[in-house]
Amino acid sequence: MATRWLGSPIKRNEDPRLLVGQGLFVDDVQLPGMVHAAVLRSPHAHARILRIDARRASQHPEVLLVLTHADLPPALKEPLPKLIPHPDLKHHKTQYALAPDKVRHVGEPVAFVVATSRAAAEDALELIEVDYDPLPAVVDLEEAAAGRPALVHEDIGTNVAAHSVQRVGDYEAARARAHLVLARRFVVDRGCASPIETRGVVAQWDPKARQLTVWDSTQAPIPIRNGLAALFGLAQKDVRVVAPDVGGGFGPKIMMFYPEEVLVPLAAMRLGRPVKWIEDRREHFLATNHERTQIHDAEIALDQDGRILGVRTVFLHDAGAYIPYGLIVPIVAECTLPGPYRVPNYHAEFRAVFTNKTIVSPYRGAGRPHGVFVMERLLDLAARQLGMDRAEIRRRNFIQPHEFPYDVGLIYQDNAPLIYDSGNYPAALERALEAVEYDRWPEQKARYRAEGRRVGLGFACYVEGSGIGPYEGCRVTVEPSGKVFVATGVGTQGQGHFTSFAQVVADALGVDVQDVHVVTGDTAAFGWGTGTFASRAAVVAGSAVHLAAKAVQQKALQVAATLLEASPEDLELADGYVRVRGAPSRSVSLGEVARAANPLRGVIPAEWEGPGLEATRYFAPPRGTFSHGVHAALVEVDPETATLRFLRYVVVHDCGVVLNPLILDGQIHGGVAQGIGGAFFERLVYDGSGQLLSGSFMDFHIPTAVEIPEIEVHHQETPSPLNPLGAKGAGEGGVIPVPALLAQAIEDALDDLDLEITQMPLHPDALFHLIQAARRRQP
Amino acid sequence: MKPQVFAYHDPSSVEEALELLARHGPGAKVLAGGQSLLPLLNLRLARPEVLVDINRIDSLDYLAEESGWLRVGARVRQRWVERDPAVRRAVPLLAEAVRYVGHVQIRNRGTVCGSLAHADPAAELPAVAVAVGARMVARSRAGAREIPAEEFFTGPLSTALSPDELLVEARFPCSPPGWGWAFVEVSNRHGDYALCAVAAGVCVADGRVRDARLAYAGAGPVPVRLPQAETALREGWPLEDALRAACSEARRLLEPEADIHASADFRRHLAGVLTERVVRLAYRRAVDGAGGARA
Amino acid sequence: MRIEGNETLHAPRDRVWALLDDPQALAGCTPGLEELRPVGPDEFEAVLSIGIAAVRGTYKGKLRITERTPPLRYGVQVEGSSAAGFVRATGVLELEDQGVQTGVRWSGDVQVGGALTLGSRMIPGIARMLASQFFQCLDRKLQEGAA
Ligand SMILES: Cc1cc2nc3c(=O)[nH]c(=O)nc-3n(C[C@H](O)[C@H](O)[C@H](O)COP(=O)(O)OP(=O)(O)OC[C@H]3O[C@@H](n4cnc5c(N)ncnc54)[C@H](O)[C@@H]3O)c2cc1C
Repeated sequence: MATRWLGSPIKRNEDPRLLVGQGLFVDDVQLPGMVHAAVLRSPHAHARILRIDARRASQHPEVLLVLTHADLPPALKEPLPKLIPHPDLKHHKTQYALAPDKVRHVGEPVAFVVATSRAAAEDALELIEVDYDPLPAVVDLEEAAAGRPALVHEDIGTNVAAHSVQRVGDYEAARARAHLVLARRFVVDRGCASPIETRGVVAQWDPKARQLTVWDSTQAPIPIRNGLAALFGLAQKDVRVVAPDVGGGFGPKIMMFYPEEVLVPLAAMRLGRPVKWIEDRREHFLATNHERTQIHDAEIALDQDGRILGVRTVFLHDAGAYIPYGLIVPIVAECTLPGPYRVPNYHAEFRAVFTNKTIVSPYRGAGRPHGVFVMERLLDLAARQLGMDRAEIRRRNFIQPHEFPYDVGLIYQDNAPLIYDSGNYPAALERALEAVEYDRWPEQKARYRAEGRRVGLGFACYVEGSGIGPYEGCRVTVEPSGKVFVATGVGTQGQGHFTSFAQVVADALGVDVQDVHVVTGDTAAFGWGTGTFASRAAVVAGSAVHLAAKAVQQKALQVAATLLEASPEDLELADGYVRVRGAPSRSVSLGEVARAANPLRGVIPAEWEGPGLEATRYFAPPRGTFSHGVHAALVEVDPETATLRFLRYVVVHDCGVVLNPLILDGQIHGGVAQGIGGAFFERLVYDGSGQLLSGSFMDFHIPTAVEIPEIEVHHQETPSPLNPLGAKGAGEGGVIPVPALLAQAIEDALDDLDLEITQMPLHPDALFHLIQAARRRQP
Repeated sequence: MKPQVFAYHDPSSVEEALELLARHGPGAKVLAGGQSLLPLLNLRLARPEVLVDINRIDSLDYLAEESGWLRVGARVRQRWVERDPAVRRAVPLLAEAVRYVGHVQIRNRGTVCGSLAHADPAAELPAVAVAVGARMVARSRAGAREIPAEEFFTGPLSTALSPDELLVEARFPCSPPGWGWAFVEVSNRHGDYALCAVAAGVCVADGRVRDARLAYAGAGPVPVRLPQAETALREGWPLEDALRAACSEARRLLEPEADIHASADFRRHLAGVLTERVVRLAYRRAVDGAGGARA
Repeated sequence: MRIEGNETLHAPRDRVWALLDDPQALAGCTPGLEELRPVGPDEFEAVLSIGIAAVRGTYKGKLRITERTPPLRYGVQVEGSSAAGFVRATGVLELEDQGVQTGVRWSGDVQVGGALTLGSRMIPGIARMLASQFFQCLDRKLQEGAA
């Protein structure tokens, strides 16, 4: 296959439209007669609802509808659907569309108001009287696990939703013969994704056609459609869900359902008018899922040469108030922990615990940063104790390139065995170390020191599970105009699918990439699929696109062969034409082929598989594929002000065959920025009563261009044998190793203080106190 | 996040504005650049009945140097002050510190007087006003008065202005010869409110500090001037001893509050560290005759 | 959010105590207090109007005297809510006999909910400012009383 487009750093097809403000985000949807919704949210973390009186709100002249739990139809009075069950998840509690008698986190929806304007709806919220009887808030994770100070869900008699153990080999035996056993507690605190576009839903009900159309800023339009059809008793064909342009997803928008996703359609059906709800930033902080809090008690056992004999991690996972998305995050964390290393004996055990905080579901990284933080920290600290170089300890433990496929021995989030398909871990590390001149680092560091500067070098390795099933599909159609239309079910939240999928098709059909129009995230365009998550779109949907494009290619050759009176083997596709190889004057345009494939008279041969220059294909990988990488950075620390500056940032990234290096670099840059944000700047701070104290961009500090360094990306390509493109996922690699790297770099910069960093995120005050404590310990 | 209903007036003269303020009393709020007020309105933390928008009052849009004072009218945007070479010469501390206020986009709208009237204890410009001894010109229908900066800030988000008063002008004394000024800040990101910031000026003659001014943001309920640390700088010698004494005064005397970004002891520590850094910088500038800020 | 401070009131301790023990006198010094209605022993319904710059609100709630150990310790608990959110605070005053004057050690714990949480950075400072207004007022009353 000629790869004119695939692999080239071409600019994104979607950018001109987005850059001039012609994107269609949910808030851009304007419909005649549209009215606006607002949500009354619990101000308490944990309280019983004694009484709700919405009469005054209903009487507000601009108010059209007020809903409380009592007003919901039976199907919506039930808890919302349970996603991704797991045998260890004993208590799969999900939230309600509107809280019936108890609220379990600040921001939980209690009532829903529709009015002629959002401002009026907000006015009306203030007229709703709710009597709460506050209960003790379950905030501290360890206390929560012990059932204190209260139970988030009384009926289950515990705050522990799940207890799960996975074992490889025999850790206890490995420990018994170890030269060094090092145990530490690692704490990762909450974070959230903060997409620029918050959530939003617009719903329109056509009472005559009995059709429901929903615009939803979601990562999973098809599951949302299927779920809405089931809830409202409609045929799936009569519900259309469109995730138009989505201004960032990063995981939290994969949920199904957020309460508003059912309440807005319900209101539209009740009122017979289009209803819009746009989440504001304050709501977003409270009502869109968070992630990250885990406390790991971890241990590593090594022989005297620094070879890993075994690892144990016993951890608590903060699920928040409900656990709709199941155990994905802690499972991914435990499965990511072994990383690129041989860990012959491994014991991973976790408890997922309810707290009175915002619900947790995957956010870019989704457990991976935790796993990597724990493993890389254990190796760093072990190397220190063994007096061994931190790169050397890694070299001694890497899985070698000839060992693939490598069975880690665990069961992954897709319920399939965790088997690494391919990779080259040692090469990636050496490349990163070379880029930062690791071998000359001691002298370089001494030079900085002589200038009075504290600069540290940090690096971290990771393996990223990606590209899991079950499947995605794609339809490729060539129209008589010669233009190619591609429809797939995954949604797009900025990953550049309009370009990378177009590249796949352009190569297969020999057309210009700008003549390939990709539609994603519209259930009317393509109705089968699961969604954009787990760095899977390029791998799974991309492969489906590839298969469909190849099928169209074959068909074009067959049809053109008849038109050109040649044998298909002698034909080629190029520049929008099918040509006889060696005789370019004998050619026919793809548009003409498309027309010929849909004749008004005559016979369609069986091998055409039906009319039109069109094919639909599905791709269902047997299991996930595993990207990997190494990040390395130089970080300057001001020990007096406890602030940081990144001087250099290098990423060596291997996600198999690169479809578009420019888009890939963008994914990595964004990921690193988000990783740096999550490691040092952004914090979700709760007080003891379960109130979020950093719930605005005034206090939740997303780093800006000033804080983010230039990022240098090196691509290493180890193809995946599991899909026709050889591709692996790239969505999360940017964020995953940042906390581990930062900890190592800070320790290196302040090595005279003998710091140990075991918590993330850090921030100046936390770093200050670590430094002060280290100084006090010094003789 | 939509504000509660309010009445909106956009007078074109100071007199009209004062009339409106007098009529509506505490129910009215002045709208200048809106960079602090609008978020408060949208969050419904502020619910004024009346907004008096001063953006149409052209007579408040002036920046003038006059008999040793830089006069900054109430409609002067922070960006103007940042870019005007005359400000850099006359009140270099103001020109340097204003760059720490948010980002360019914020400073394009935000006004100097708005920042002073808002009186966030972690804001930069109030600390500058206290450090240089600025004077606030307040007007109401009853007349005009001048309030020294140190009396103007009365608490977090609180000033000596009464509800019917408009801050029509802030006056900054021009830097006398022999002085060097500097502003240093630690914030989580560039553009955030200060975890701690120090504004300093020193007058140096024959290598010795003859006079000094120090004011802190983020270190108390209002911008705090520290005469004891100033005295330590004036009276201590050699410079290293003076610095040490000034820093320890800062650590001893400041009583910052803890918040989610910084504990009180971290802020106190920063005050010490930054005192040393800012004084060294100001000293060097005084000696170099650069007077003030980097170009 | 915990805050604490020390104040000096210029009157002997028993006079300070007497003033603290008189809800009406206390009410007169509580910044923004508009109404105080007894609803039970040591329990009141209160309406407070507190305005810090543009941020002003009317808080309706309860005030409870939680501890009364004459003339040593005095504890209060306040709960109020407004459209912007709610405030819950507990405070303890400890009086120290210093002859003609009285030392007051006070400490409080303030919790906020709703939109008020967005101002958390400012709350300790504001609470301290309100406390200081309260004590200044008490001191004035004590001195007026003495005059
Ligand atoms: C993203 C962002 C970052 C920011 N970062 C910082 C920062 O780092 N440091 C910092 O100090 N500030 C920061 N701010 C606040 C900003 O600097 C504001 O510009 C400033 O606080 C107020 O100026 P303004 O003209 O916008 O006032 P407005 O918002 O219009 O008014 C603020 C208050 O002052 C009153 N007021 C305004 N003018 C007058 C007057 N002439 N007379 C009487 N009352 C008046 C108003 O009634 C209101 O109560 C930031 C704001 C944003 C949005």
